[in-house]
Amino acid sequence: MNRSVAPEIKDKLEFHLPTIKQFQLNNGLRVIFVKKDNLPIVQMSLIVNAGSRFDPANKSGLSYLTSMLIDEGAGEYSALELDNEIESLGSIFGVSTDSDLIYMNMLSIKDKFERSLELLSTVYASPLFTDEDFEREKRKLLTKIVRNYDEPSYIASNNFRNLVYNITPYAHPILGTSQEVETVTNDEVKQFYKNTFLPQNSYLIVVGNITQSELEEKLNKYFNSTSFESNNTDNISSPIENDSNIYFIHKDGAAQSEIRVGHLSNKRTDADYFPKVIMNSILGGQFSSRLNLNLREDKGFTYGVSSGYYYNKYFGYFQIATSVDSKNTGETLAEINKEINGLKQNISIEEINFAKSFLVKRFPSMFETYTQIANNLTSLVHYSLDKNYFNNYIQNVERCTKEEIEKAAQKNIVTDKMIYVVVGNADEVLPQLSSISDSNVIELDKFGNKV
Amino acid sequence: MNEILNIEYQKHTLQNGLEVVLYKDNSLPIVSVNIWYKVGSANEIEGKTGFAHLFEHMMFQGSKHVPKEMHFRYIEEAGGNLNGSTSMDRTNYYETVPSNSLELALWLESDRMGFLLDALTQEKLDNQKDVVMNERRQRYDNQPYGLAWELIFSNLFPKDHPYHWPTIGWMEDIEKFELDDVKKFFKTYYSPNNASLVIGGDIEYDETLELVKNYFDEIPSANSIPEIQVPQTGLKENKKIIHHDNVQLSKLYITWETTKLYEKDDAALDILADILTGSKNGRLFKSLVFEKQIAQDVVSFQYSGNLTGMFIIMATAKPGVELDKIKNEILKELKQIEEEGITIAELERSQNAITSSFIYSLQNLNSLVDQINNYNTNLGEPNSFLFDLKRMTNLNIDDVSGMTIKYLNKPFVELQIVPKEVEVESE
Repeated sequence: MNRSVAPEIKDKLEFHLPTIKQFQLNNGLRVIFVKKDNLPIVQMSLIVNAGSRFDPANKSGLSYLTSMLIDEGAGEYSALELDNEIESLGSIFGVSTDSDLIYMNMLSIKDKFERSLELLSTVYASPLFTDEDFEREKRKLLTKIVRNYDEPSYIASNNFRNLVYNITPYAHPILGTSQEVETVTNDEVKQFYKNTFLPQNSYLIVVGNITQSELEEKLNKYFNSTSFESNNTDNISSPIENDSNIYFIHKDGAAQSEIRVGHLSNKRTDADYFPKVIMNSILGGQFSSRLNLNLREDKGFTYGVSSGYYYNKYFGYFQIATSVDSKNTGETLAEINKEINGLKQNISIEEINFAKSFLVKRFPSMFETYTQIANNLTSLVHYSLDKNYFNNYIQNVERCTKEEIEKAAQKNIVTDKMIYVVVGNADEVLPQLSSISDSNVIELDKFGNKV
Repeated sequence: MNEILNIEYQKHTLQNGLEVVLYKDNSLPIVSVNIWYKVGSANEIEGKTGFAHLFEHMMFQGSKHVPKEMHFRYIEEAGGNLNGSTSMDRTNYYETVPSNSLELALWLESDRMGFLLDALTQEKLDNQKDVVMNERRQRYDNQPYGLAWELIFSNLFPKDHPYHWPTIGWMEDIEKFELDDVKKFFKTYYSPNNASLVIGGDIEYDETLELVKNYFDEIPSANSIPEIQVPQTGLKENKKIIHHDNVQLSKLYITWETTKLYEKDDAALDILADILTGSKNGRLFKSLVFEKQIAQDVVSFQYSGNLTGMFIIMATAKPGVELDKIKNEILKELKQIEEEGITIAELERSQNAITSSFIYSLQNLNSLVDQINNYNTNLGEPNSFLFDLKRMTNLNIDDVSGMTIKYLNKPFVELQIVPKEVEVESE
């Protein structure tokens, strides 16, 4: 037995993508369906264009509060009765919100699919929004905001987003600010719901062990609500880009520094998406990335570091994220700058082949669970990707050339736009920051106000 | 429907003592390779804590035929993902790869089981000590409430009990480890007769067994594994600890010592936790969060290991609410269960939810194979999904209510994590 050489990887594998079906109900609700029958499970995701970017001026948190209230009683059921109905079925229901969307997810056993769908439609179409539930959930949200600002990573991520998406509806925290949430009324929640929870403003994604005809029949039975005209405006102004600065936020007793570095970037549908994925994979998108091998496996400054392009419907941003011990904070920023500049100067063909291999060969494992497939379908419709996006994925990765990837690095990593956010202990960390690049150091409080 | 929980498998034991379980599912072209070594932080001693976990990091640093950085690289280039984790009782390593890369995964796993020390250097150890100290800072020291676990463990169990310290270890211990510690630990615990290998997914049985034999047969077994010494436990009276942290909301943790993993009462305590806090209708959630609104959240669970277990209830106070008030409400609700019992409706709701969760848990190959290894290692029977589920569904209301008298009437550790100073919140 010869152990000195790695075993060769045998022939190519056969992998068949699931077939994606799309259809529309009479009331305008668009449905995306994948039949998957290895287990007796149905996963449904009802998504609504009602995320935090739709919060009206000075009413941040309205979308989030609406999402908290949506399942606090619906139709003939009070909040506790509704929860009891769902749990007794053995179904799992959850609501989540990001800056673009509110997601209502229902996972059920096949036998309980019809009743689960009926309850999902009740939540969507007939929430109660009682004053009592409103007061309770509003207080809960206000406490949650207080709690989150104890978290160094939350402070870092929120301030970074706010600086990058400056003066757009994407800038404010998804949970809202305490001051503005205080002013939100139950009537405003009801109005927000009325404006956004409309069939033509929503998608239903279903991955499950049922037939399409069975699904259509049940949908027509439970999702036959009348449609309303949407008066949801969807105009987004461009962010006003902040100067490249180091923004420092002091945290009492911090045992580490939370670091975010990056800048505004382009939309998900830009033509150089694939070269960008490969380029980022080399920089910080895989464990064996330049950043992680340097900062973790060589220097031991951190438990881990990653980079990525993160997308909303209208913009994206580039972000490197890590947390490092206080004494190495300055050196970490210098190393990050070194890696960024290095990537713009040189990317080897070996690195490109490695990243392509990583991306192409892991592709089948992105279609393993019911939830994973539902999430893939969500990006498909949310970013309006080509309907053959997944069929062409492997080919699109493989055909990227070295020139395209180098060009993507030049275009999508902009050194003189770089925003640095550091949350840490001022006494130890601030003196290390003055020597980093030409950037000024600006001190903020945890809410982003200048101090 | 529960028939799908009755899985087929093959089990073999190699001559060197390595247990091998094969589970075939050809629905996707992926395969999961999963090894459990029967060693965790419970095998450590005072002054040398955190070593099982630090050692886990060293297992990714290359071995005789695999240079540093290459373990990750081989798996990533093959399109796989990999990791490991350490608990009180065991350390696991796993990689899920496209099925044509199965041999690669076996080559890597066998090389570090058989030939780790040939590639060990001081530089690698120093580097991973720094990484682990940063892991400790990131996951515990710099997290709000992050020191709760180690405060509970070290107060519930006496100084010489194997569960007294956190798995990540005390910072001053991590700093002190030396190369000799690594060598001794490897020779003592990382042998085929102290491990269980499960391979699941897109495989053929005979071919896979042949491959396993090729790579693992020659690795020698070790001498007997040292027994863990477990001193007497049991609190004589309630213990109260107040810890000041960088937080704005106070949080309460009440912990009782209970019973170990897979004991009959272990399941009854799981159900009790679900009935207390598993949903909005959970008794404590309904009382504290929904009706009285004195707590922001409340969570409870039975946490059990090979030596013993504990039942924990924790609740975050709303601003301005005293933790004593929350504690009294919690004890009042437990008293009520003790006196009046739980209802059949509560039990059935909980059992339905748990039954479905077993089915949902079959979706991900990596976690499914890890569960098979859990059953093989702890119960000696890989196909224990139905057994495990029936532990829950066979219980009656008295089995569950009885837990309050049997365990939750005993002395407990009360931990309060409170703000360092009163801070005026403004935006």
